[in-house]
Amino acid sequence: MLKRLIARWQGVLLTLVGIVATVWLGATGQLGLYIHPRYFWFSIAMALIGAVFVVAAFAFTPLPEEPDEATDAAAAPGLHDHSHHDTAEPPRGNRAGTVRAALAALTIVVATGALLVLPPTTLTSATATQRSINSATSALDASSPTLVGGDTANFTVKDWALLLRQNPDVGYYADKDVDVVGFVTASPDDPENVFYLARFSVTCCAVDAQPIGVPVYLPGWQEQFEEDQWLAATGAIEQNPGSTGDEPLVLVTETLEVTEQPEQPYVF
Amino acid sequence: MSLTKPVPPHHATTGSRTARSRGAVGLGLGVALVLLFVAIRVLAPEEVGNLLSNSVQDFFTLSISVVIESLPFVILGILLSIGVQVWLPEGFLLRHLPRNAVARRIVISMLGVLLPVCECGNVPLARGLILRGLTVGESMTFLLAAPILNPVTIITTYQAFGWNDGILVSRILGGFVIANLIGWIYSRHSSPMSLLTPKFQATCAHAHDEVPATRTRRSVDMFTKETTAMLPALFVGSAIAGLIQVGVSRDLLVTLGQNPVLSVFALMALAFVVSICSNVDAFFILAFGSTFMPGAIVAFLVFGPMIDVKMLALMRTTFTARTLVQLTVIVGLASAALGLAVNALA
Repeated sequence: MLKRLIARWQGVLLTLVGIVATVWLGATGQLGLYIHPRYFWFSIAMALIGAVFVVAAFAFTPLPEEPDEATDAAAAPGLHDHSHHDTAEPPRGNRAGTVRAALAALTIVVATGALLVLPPTTLTSATATQRSINSATSALDASSPTLVGGDTANFTVKDWALLLRQNPDVGYYADKDVDVVGFVTASPDDPENVFYLARFSVTCCAVDAQPIGVPVYLPGWQEQFEEDQWLAATGAIEQNPGSTGDEPLVLVTETLEVTEQPEQPYVF
Repeated sequence: MSLTKPVPPHHATTGSRTARSRGAVGLGLGVALVLLFVAIRVLAPEEVGNLLSNSVQDFFTLSISVVIESLPFVILGILLSIGVQVWLPEGFLLRHLPRNAVARRIVISMLGVLLPVCECGNVPLARGLILRGLTVGESMTFLLAAPILNPVTIITTYQAFGWNDGILVSRILGGFVIANLIGWIYSRHSSPMSLLTPKFQATCAHAHDEVPATRTRRSVDMFTKETTAMLPALFVGSAIAGLIQVGVSRDLLVTLGQNPVLSVFALMALAFVVSICSNVDAFFILAFGSTFMPGAIVAFLVFGPMIDVKMLALMRTTFTARTLVQLTVIVGLASAALGLAVNALA
């Protein structure tokens, strides 16, 4: 009985987990942690339509089932089972059926845990390290407008990272103040002296997130800050005094303060 | 056929008082479950997240993002599948297809223009089409062609690459040719039903049985059955995709991207791993670097929509593992050949 129930309702319950997660994320403005804003309306609309079907699925009594997967059970003919619950089913399919039901139940529990219990978060510096920072920027500037000569007052981490690629001439930055917010991730080349103020750039969903960031020169930064901490920085772009790393230009900060994670941590 | 005519309602819905009260109990149960799940979500303590290390947390974030991204497309695909099976008149689709097998597959590979679902939505739809009488080979043609030959994908690919290096043209033509090639190969199979999982075969065998129920009722029933087939695959596939993302360094694949031969295989491996939807994969690969060879980008854009971790999990609901291995090898070789040819010509 229990096995049949799980087999019948597994999909509906998993759908409901996904729907509740989507709508809740949308309602609390956190959907952007997982997908690009252009999908918001579509995801929520489909979730609401799905919700109607889920509730309707419970309201209607099931139509007669197709015969139980005799072929699946026949695949394991030797399994004569002695488990004592569920005597209604033919014994030969019993153990395979029990395993399947247990796996199905496990999927539901894990999905509920992942989507409904865990608090939604951004990706961390672990992924930033794994996906090598700024590897995307050289290509991004092919599709984005040239930033050289633009008004830098509202520049984000992404804009600065692009600009540093487009124009490596330090003189250009003499009169430009930088004011950015990002999370801390260590520079792979010079982790002692340089860290990045980074953001993830998302084109579709968090899976394709690319870390981009502005290198900050601050020897011994590890004593003040931790990886993944969100910082607000002001300062100016200067020649990298360490000059060991890949980054010829770095941000030398005037102020550097711990701040709250922004509502929308990713850039698009 | 009478399958398409709704049975008079008193048969199914308002038959007896017990049926009605059972419906009310079910409705109450459904609403209660929705509220329960909402309550879990709202009341879950924030601190739970702090117990996890960064990598574990990122695994969950990545997997969840695949689920949240794909779920609406899967729901849309199931709705379209219900539309084809329950609401379209029996034989409507097949009547309007050409009789000649080759012409028929060519038309089928263009269906994506009318049904612009990305690949996750195509699997439930393809299942519905098989149940409505499409052959297995034809359904594969649809499954492989539709994510590439659809307006959304074509527009986003054009936005990302314009006419540069023939990437757009190679993608469209390559997808079309490979899908028709696969359809032709499997149309020559001696017993095409054996390509399907036993469970789906059983569903097919009963597809034409008469079910005495209203269309609404059958739609809801089909929603239950299709979600039961698709959703576990989606969740498991997303978890695997998330796991690989955390485990495999991308640097290696990207470094290989400079070599005219290796780049093709490296980007196909990348497409397999990231499992990204065809509607947006052009932006994704564009963001990855103009350093890649055009042939590698074409291989990525052709192979990715057809075969990836998430798609294999979803297709496993319908096709046997053996069939999927064959399919992966053929599509992989054809995509690689296409990519290498583009590189050679570029």
